Amino acid sequence: MNEEPGADAPALLAATELHKSYGATPALAGADFAIRAGEVVAVMGPSGSGKSTLLHCLAGIVPPDSGSVRYQGRELSSLPDAERSALRRADFGFVFQFGQLVPELTCVENVALPLRLTGIARRAAEARAAEWLERLEVADVRHHRPGQISGGQGQRVAVARALVNNPRVLFADEPTGALDSLNGERVMQLLVAAARDTGAAVVLVTHESRVAAYSDREVVVRDGRARDMAGVA
Amino acid sequence: MSALGAWRRELAMGVRFACAGRAGWTRTALTALGVGLGVVVLLLAASVPHLLAARDTREAARAVMMSEDGQVRIGFAPTEYHGRPIGGLLLQPEAGADTAVPPPAGLDSYPGPGEMVVSPALGRLLDSPEGALLAERLDAEQVGTIGEEGLVGSGELYYYAGTDRLGEDANRAVGFGTDPWGGDAMDAALVLLVLVVCVVLLMPVAVFIATAVRLGGERRDRRLAALRLVGADVRMTRRVAAGEALAGALLGLLVGGAGFLALRQYLGRITVWGASTFPSDIVPSAPLAVLVLLAVPVSAVCVTLFALRGVAIEPLGVVRQARIRRRRLAWRLTPILTGLVLLLPLARSFRDADDGTLILAGIGIVLLLAGTTVVLPWLVERVVGAMRGGPVSWQLATRRLQLSSGPAARAVSGITVAVAGATALYMLFAGVNSQETEETGQDPDRAQVEVDAYELDGTEAQGLFGKIDAQQGVAATFGLVSGYAAPVGADPGAADLAESSAVVVVADCATLRELARVGTCADGDVFLSRSAAGGEVTPQPGDRLNLALDYTGVPRPGAEDLWTVPAAAREVTARPDPSGMEYGGVLATPAALDPARLPEPSTRALLRLDPGDPDALERVRNAVWDGPAEGTDASVWELTTEQASDDIRKVRRGLLIGATGVMLLIGASMIVTTLEQLRERRRLLSVLVAFGTRRATLGVSVLWQTAVPVVLGLAVAAAVGTGLGALLMAMVDLPVGNWLACWPVVAVGGGLIALVTLVSLPPLWYLMRPDGLRTE
Repeated sequence: MNEEPGADAPALLAATELHKSYGATPALAGADFAIRAGEVVAVMGPSGSGKSTLLHCLAGIVPPDSGSVRYQGRELSSLPDAERSALRRADFGFVFQFGQLVPELTCVENVALPLRLTGIARRAAEARAAEWLERLEVADVRHHRPGQISGGQGQRVAVARALVNNPRVLFADEPTGALDSLNGERVMQLLVAAARDTGAAVVLVTHESRVAAYSDREVVVRDGRARDMAGVA
Repeated sequence: MSALGAWRRELAMGVRFACAGRAGWTRTALTALGVGLGVVVLLLAASVPHLLAARDTREAARAVMMSEDGQVRIGFAPTEYHGRPIGGLLLQPEAGADTAVPPPAGLDSYPGPGEMVVSPALGRLLDSPEGALLAERLDAEQVGTIGEEGLVGSGELYYYAGTDRLGEDANRAVGFGTDPWGGDAMDAALVLLVLVVCVVLLMPVAVFIATAVRLGGERRDRRLAALRLVGADVRMTRRVAAGEALAGALLGLLVGGAGFLALRQYLGRITVWGASTFPSDIVPSAPLAVLVLLAVPVSAVCVTLFALRGVAIEPLGVVRQARIRRRRLAWRLTPILTGLVLLLPLARSFRDADDGTLILAGIGIVLLLAGTTVVLPWLVERVVGAMRGGPVSWQLATRRLQLSSGPAARAVSGITVAVAGATALYMLFAGVNSQETEETGQDPDRAQVEVDAYELDGTEAQGLFGKIDAQQGVAATFGLVSGYAAPVGADPGAADLAESSAVVVVADCATLRELARVGTCADGDVFLSRSAAGGEVTPQPGDRLNLALDYTGVPRPGAEDLWTVPAAAREVTARPDPSGMEYGGVLATPAALDPARLPEPSTRALLRLDPGDPDALERVRNAVWDGPAEGTDASVWELTTEQASDDIRKVRRGLLIGATGVMLLIGASMIVTTLEQLRERRRLLSVLVAFGTRRATLGVSVLWQTAVPVVLGLAVAAAVGTGLGALLMAMVDLPVGNWLACWPVVAVGGGLIALVTLVSLPPLWYLMRPDGLRTE
């Protein structure tokens, strides 16, 4: 495990006593979590343990039934939907396991999408997107559509899209779940390196130890409760 | 295994997939709903021949067989109520006739004097508050209801009234009911028109059904890829897909059949433009029904196999589009060019067309309309392919269309055929309408209603005027009595006697001012009126006239009633009265000539009504109605500036309603397609929302995705429809007067865009929920 960056720094994003149920099925039952700026934290746990739900609550995608999620001191659940969306556009980035690229748009257009949503002109947005594709070693497929590239390339494009607006927090939900080990390794190397370059914190949901090995710290979610393996959270 | 066995096995497997799990059922149910809607329309269309035949039979069943030696005296007593025509027949069987001559169809026995038997719709109207004024008019005792077999439609307003007051000279019936007329072979032009209407209305239905059986295509392709992985070859997967489509189509036939039966009952309860029908008359013709039963599932299989032509399904869970071939224009133009080649030579020479030419014209029109559906996919591809830039919502929509313009083009095809055909027919009807519309010369600003009565003497006429004038809502009554007068000594046997008779009008000064520019007028004055056209007989002051003439202007033999034109009679110029008639002749006030001296006068009253009183006209009708036991000898007309052919107006309105119905069907198809696309993309939508995409952006994107192809289709349809309309008008040698005939249907198309978008928004909002991100 890597050295924790800024161990004394205040939490950038913190959750306390999160509860969330889907119907009669509890997904989170009093989960706590905290991450500091620039930190890479792996959220681990078996299938159905509530790790993805924790990520969704942290990102303000899903409101918790109870508990608190604070980002830079602001309570997320008290923000209206429009403000949470704006926050996600400006400060957060996302990488999911699959099905995240818009199939009709080319790779460069997909990466430029978050920028365009914040009002940046198409040419400028696509120029910046092209830089990120270069950085993630997929510049050669910039004009291809997602259906025309491999899974590994697609995930790199997704990472580029997640980082193109310089987010403060990158949420990655099983980013290598659909890739073979070689491709998975490469995607993780690029993702973590790029995040460290930009200073983004990374919340990395995974059930694979080799993926979690890229993190500074591991949090295990079991039966809806989060336990910090280093005793920090 | 034989090829047939393989087909059977894999089709069955497809049917099982169609019914597997919630998703399978949902997809199959959607397909069945879509196919069912189309089947309902097809079955209704297949019922038209039986419907028309049944109508003929019903009309014939109650036809009166008149003969001078008939034993049942009859009188026709129709009336009208708030624009709705009411048919009525007075019956007076002579002694014993009620057993010798069976009553008209729908009656068990003849109603007695003072009794009437009414249709169910008329009974309901008479019993309702809205029918209160009509109940005052038709006030005989209701003793029964006319049976279904004696009515043309379920909403028809009709009555039979018994009476004992019909005279010896009344019409007589020897019986009721004849064989159905069957009619002559349909007029050739009508066949052409029906052909175009069928193409316009049914082609979109075919497009709709084709869309419905392609629902769930993406999910199905993934499933087929899984089959490939376990060893299925390409042909097998196609047969499995055909089986799935077949299941949806068969279920759709059931849904359509049930929908048709339900709609049939509903149609029996509504009346459109005074026309209604009975559910039992809406029966599909057997050959057409069999055709629908076979064509729908076969088409479903063919459409599916055709759709899979361009898809390569690989075993590794990957479905790739086969090499996308750019559509080529050359062969797509063939149907349109062939249609033009057939139609252009017929310009200005169609009126005398023989049957062969007619068939050629029909084929030409069908080719032209159908040809647009072949050209459109090319056009949509090219136009959408050229779209660049724009905001994110626009980019998402246009890229989606660029990647898959097929569904959009199919939807557009349906719209184009419907709108182009409707526009062309609309123009044609507008042209015919302008020729058929006549200026009536009537002036509704001066009077709105005309009452004509017959067989009243002058005293009775004055009584009628007073009665009308007393009605609430009648602002002014201009009543006049007119007859003829001949110079004294005229030979009753002379052939031109009627032509030498002068018109004599007796009315008060207010009325005479409506007939001529009389200037000052007092009771006792007489005027000699000359019309602008001239030609009438105008006596001179001091002339002696014989008033004892019959209603044709011929002196009655042996009778003489002499009247001298006063020496003070002034010559005046006639002016058209509010009904457009001009009186040249003698205009006399009652003090100068007693109207009772005109032996067989015509009685007319021109009425000015209170525009704020909608019941005024009905009160006037009641006032002149002589009771259902006798019928009335007075007619009530509304004055209008022009008289358009009612049939043409109805056909135009029907066309717009038909086109709207077809567009709604296409709209339903677009909604289903859009929802299907959204459902397939629920995860992507959730991801887009997760990284901050505004919901409004995605909503507007759906709007663009609907609007772009529809606007494109409407533009092409307006152009093709206007061109075809101009061509059709040239064929029948009519001038094109209305180049903007397309706007009503284009406006409906605009409404369609809004409808599809609005209906798609709630599911879009639902599918954008974060639940789409959950994988466990």
